[in-house]
Amino acid sequence: MSTIQISNLRKTYGSLVAVDGFSLRIPDGTVFGLLGPNGAGKTTAFKCMLGLARPATGEILYDGQPLVPETFARIAYVPESSVLYEWMTVAEHVEMNRRAFPKFEPARAVVLLGEFGVDARKRARTLSKGMRTAVMVALAFARNAEILILDEPTAGLDPVNQRHVLSLIINEAARGNSVIFSSHQIGQVERAAEHIAVMNRGRLVLEGQVDDLKAERKIVEGVFPGVTYTLDGIAGDPRVARIDRTERIVRLLVVAGAEEIAARLSSAGAAGIRILDLNLEDIFLYAVSPADATADVVAQGGAA
Amino acid sequence: MPAVLTVDPRSGVPIYLQIIEQVKRSVALGILQAGEQLPTVKQLALDLTINPNTVARAYRDLERDSVIETAPGRGSFVRSDGVGNSAKTAAADVARDALDVGLREAKSVGLSRNEVRELIDVALDRWFPEER
Repeated sequence: MSTIQISNLRKTYGSLVAVDGFSLRIPDGTVFGLLGPNGAGKTTAFKCMLGLARPATGEILYDGQPLVPETFARIAYVPESSVLYEWMTVAEHVEMNRRAFPKFEPARAVVLLGEFGVDARKRARTLSKGMRTAVMVALAFARNAEILILDEPTAGLDPVNQRHVLSLIINEAARGNSVIFSSHQIGQVERAAEHIAVMNRGRLVLEGQVDDLKAERKIVEGVFPGVTYTLDGIAGDPRVARIDRTERIVRLLVVAGAEEIAARLSSAGAAGIRILDLNLEDIFLYAVSPADATADVVAQGGAA
Repeated sequence: MPAVLTVDPRSGVPIYLQIIEQVKRSVALGILQAGEQLPTVKQLALDLTINPNTVARAYRDLERDSVIETAPGRGSFVRSDGVGNSAKTAAADVARDALDVGLREAKSVGLSRNEVRELIDVALDRWFPEER
């Protein structure tokens, strides 16, 4: 049982604010996908969660308790960049993990390495980027950890091995363990994650269950008979997050109540009303598009 | 059974709704028969490479809609008690959703209620000629 509560996390490196007032609750036994553009603060957030970086302010609680050494035994971490010892063989890494972690299962690690096609006799320095990822993933999944924190766990892997990592994540979820992972491959997050959070410039900009976000967030589109029309009431509706206009065509990004807003657009005189689904990539891209630009389009829509 | 169900995770339609729709279709078409066992949540999640909680959510909704029933420790089955009449219920659900999409489209392109009714009459004559 491991609910993770992150509150008001802030981490700076000199004048760079990597994480800025980030709060998030990660429920127990879920697969949680953390999305964000490069430099959004995902890796820094992970490092703070693991005590590898000291936040300027804020706290992280596991089941209401601060991170203590005993908690580490329950967490397995795959970092974004290789932490393998270049001169050691893969088999020696397995042995090192066996000594370090009481619940580590060497036999399971050997099976996983075989599934990824890794030759355990090889030294780390001879491994490709993808094979290094595979080794770190195999070692993490052999830990019998309750919480897996995986920073880009499919980086450099071929599609077959990427799918294998997803299966491992799903298997952990089916056992009731928690997996928190980041990936630039949104399709993977869309498959494996139940919850997602989107970070941008150190801040949390979106959070929710993937299926709920897809059910609620829609594009409502309508076509007006002339170029002059008003969007009375619609532009100010808090459920309308964004308004894009191209001459007679209006596209609204709505975060809830698509059917009702479609009806209001129809009442305002628009025809050809369509409600368009958004996949996770669309939802992500809208979430990280600059807020000031969004405010601008909404203002234009309101002024018309 | 796993081959019967497929999902498109990259679609904007929530995955759990895709599963619900497909199970209902399969039941309506007799691909899944009354009393037949569905894969376990874990098995379907692994087969489709999707989150197990998403599968569990779909199964819960299918139970609520009386299409399947779950016996603790035994698994989930297509209902066969006659009360739910799951095949008929499922068929109606699938057809209603499809009609709804069509009617919304008709309205959005500016057809009136009477014009839509004429279209439906023509369509009914085409698809149900024997019941004219």
